[in-house]
Amino acid sequence: MTEYLIRRVLQSVLVIFLITLLTFLLIHAAPGGPTKVMLSPGLSPEVLEQQAKNLGLDKPIPVQYVHWIGDLLQGDLGYTFKNHIAVSDLLWPRIANTFILMGAAWLVSLVISIPWGIYNSTKVYGLSDQTASFISYLGFAMPTFWFGILLQQWLSIKLDWFPLSDMHSRGHEGDIGDLFMHLVLPVTVLALGFLASYMKYARSSMLEVLDQDYIRTARAKGVQERKVVFRHALRNALIPIITILGLDLPILVAGATLTENVFNWPGMGRWFVEMANSREYSALMSITIVIAVMVVIGNLVADILYAVVDPRVKLGKQGGKAA
Amino acid sequence: MTKKRNWWSILLIVSLIGILFTGCSTNNTANTPNATAESTAPAESAAPEASAPAADAPVDGGTLVLSSFSDIVNINPLLIGDTSSGDIANFVFAQIYDLDRAGNVTAEPWSLAAELPEISADGLTYTVKLKDNIKWSDGQPITADDVVYTVETAKNPETGSPLISQYDKVKTVEKVDDHTVKFTMNQVYAPFLYALCQAIVPAHVLKDVAPKEMQTNPYGTDPAKTVTSGPWKWTAWKQGESHTLDANPDYWGEVKPHISQLVYKIYADQNTEVQAILKGDTDHISAIPVTQVEAAKADGDIAIIQKPGAQYEYLGFNFDASNFKDKYGLFEGQKTRQAIAHALNRQGMVDNILKGVGALMNAPFLPDTWADPGDAAVNYDYNAETAKKLLAEDGWVAGTDGILTKDGHRFSFELQYNAGNSRREQVAAVIQQNLKDVGIEVTPKAIDFASWIDQNVTPGKFQAVLLAWSLNNPDPDAESIFSSKYFPPAGQNAGWYKNEKLDQLWVDGYSTVDQEKRKEIYKEVGKEISTDLPYVFLYQYGQAIGTGPRVHWAEEDAPEPSLGYGQFFHAIKWWVTD
Repeated sequence: MTEYLIRRVLQSVLVIFLITLLTFLLIHAAPGGPTKVMLSPGLSPEVLEQQAKNLGLDKPIPVQYVHWIGDLLQGDLGYTFKNHIAVSDLLWPRIANTFILMGAAWLVSLVISIPWGIYNSTKVYGLSDQTASFISYLGFAMPTFWFGILLQQWLSIKLDWFPLSDMHSRGHEGDIGDLFMHLVLPVTVLALGFLASYMKYARSSMLEVLDQDYIRTARAKGVQERKVVFRHALRNALIPIITILGLDLPILVAGATLTENVFNWPGMGRWFVEMANSREYSALMSITIVIAVMVVIGNLVADILYAVVDPRVKLGKQGGKAA
Repeated sequence: MTKKRNWWSILLIVSLIGILFTGCSTNNTANTPNATAESTAPAESAAPEASAPAADAPVDGGTLVLSSFSDIVNINPLLIGDTSSGDIANFVFAQIYDLDRAGNVTAEPWSLAAELPEISADGLTYTVKLKDNIKWSDGQPITADDVVYTVETAKNPETGSPLISQYDKVKTVEKVDDHTVKFTMNQVYAPFLYALCQAIVPAHVLKDVAPKEMQTNPYGTDPAKTVTSGPWKWTAWKQGESHTLDANPDYWGEVKPHISQLVYKIYADQNTEVQAILKGDTDHISAIPVTQVEAAKADGDIAIIQKPGAQYEYLGFNFDASNFKDKYGLFEGQKTRQAIAHALNRQGMVDNILKGVGALMNAPFLPDTWADPGDAAVNYDYNAETAKKLLAEDGWVAGTDGILTKDGHRFSFELQYNAGNSRREQVAAVIQQNLKDVGIEVTPKAIDFASWIDQNVTPGKFQAVLLAWSLNNPDPDAESIFSSKYFPPAGQNAGWYKNEKLDQLWVDGYSTVDQEKRKEIYKEVGKEISTDLPYVFLYQYGQAIGTGPRVHWAEEDAPEPSLGYGQFFHAIKWWVTD
């Protein structure tokens, strides 16, 4: 297990390095640049050139890359070009903000969707299943920003039950109750989106398993239905669900741009788009790394969880999973 | 571990997932009851008073919440290039001179200068007298040294200051005494007066900073290190979220601000900004998108000031033939350009897309300003028949597919504009339709702003653009846009337009400070440019400014959309009530 982990981590480091190299090249290949996006009437190209020079943007891209990765290895994420603010001062608060929002939404959707999906798999096409289906369709079909605006109009502007947007009311920073109230609407929007897919996965994955021979065997030998569902079926059904959850893990820090926009949540998604528009290379690279690390962690956690739920999976010398 | 098949493994997974979130989950649910109490009682939502301009006596104190859809870059006056930075700077820096409502340069009680500058008879020297009680927010006096330092640093190319073009005709700037500065010009340059409506930076803070390190210096990005001169000071910046400005306790001006705190909140876009003011979370919005103005009006609590501002939109032609198929410039013929002007339903654009808040323009001078050439400029009415006639006179004949051709070249071009601008999207569609009616094929193409400016506009590589100019000051000089001295990539004449008569007229226009003479010259410019049409001038357009019920001002201090930053015109005299 330890050996496996070490190998996985080393592989991941290589993958992340390659990702940074590729992203760096791609970002610099995009037209425009940090100084060029500031162009406005009255700002001459000479001024932009001088600004680019002052910021080190006139150096060849490989040199800029070596510079950047050298700083990174020393834990320095760099500075924004447009106003020389440390990227780390901007990045971590946004990751935290996004994690609070996405984590809450994810948790709410998991708590509802997995048990509900499992229950529905035992009573296919019952009232509960139909309701769940309907909600899933809504979740899939409704654009999140539109649903968000709808909730705002109704529950905030009209009824004044919840705050319209932001993470805190003015003067209430750090107040948990205030934060909770601000979370309700965006979490509802996001959770509905997650819920829709997780519920479907849980249900269909269970249905597939419940159809297997060994389940029939279990039932045939007179095992209680409860035990059949929870002990025999669920463990196997969890495997595909874990895969999905592992793949979704990066969303917790990547954020949801549209929802963050509508609710003015100071998170990663919104920041990422902003940074992309102003071609803030250092910030974009930092975001890429964070998300890449999360993808790697997500996969790793999923692999470890396979071994926990599925006795056939062994993480060992072969390094693979036998499922 | 793998051998044991029991319940506990499942429980383990669930708890593993749970552990990830225990932090937020327990916290979130803990304090629900008091949260409801607090967040349902925002101070702003109570005060159903009548709309903004109230004649009651001003009250001191209170917080005004402003909104914006982008954060600042840097508020160092030497480096400001975006409107948000300009907004904040507008509150925390005093300028040498200010503009009055009509756009005239004046010395206001909040200006650094005591009186209007003395201009020598030959128009070459400007002597500026500063007030003698003015001081920086750190208590140091503001002196002639600060003005000299600011202008010299701006003129230094190493600084990379956008102000460089504003001062490029200044030969020397000298300190006469502590409160007097003398500017000597290379040539007579009338618009220079507006270059004195400028905030300055403290020499005692920045004098040891190398010009090329100005951009990376924390002055302008760190509130604690940004020494300012205005009625409010910059207290805090939460990046991407908000700015807090507090009344400057040591403010030197005779007129003190009534409002004790300004909060400048940043939203993702204009739509969320509008929602926020409707909810009462904010008190002021600089620009309500045209599509939302009706909704804001329907609210009843929001006072809306809607009037065309200091900006105009145009359809710009490219005169460099290498941008066209077979190097055949489609817009060479003057009659062709005039035909396009006739073919466009400009009034329809103003009525339907701008919802009436706009004014047609025929020359690059804002309507109702002193340089407006009025009837001297040619007005092209919407008339497809005239357009077709002019096109025929210029040698265009209908091809088999209905599209005009001349010497075997189809009249088909690409019209570029920036993606995400819904107004331009609609206008581009109208242009496409209008020109189709006269046999010209237009392909509108939306491009990401940064790429577009970089790849097409700056190097002058496009066929036609739909773009706007927003005018930094009320002076009519526009040499740098239309003169052949300013070809791309170094200059802003992106369409490679050349007209020797106009080139000379622009120079004549700024080479005298006599406004009556200038007026005659710009009348001539208006006539020539509207005949020759480097652009089809479309319309002057404006933003709808909205303010909530808490904000008040006396009639003469109301926001003035026609000025740059006019949405905060005389904010020092506004007051808020709860």
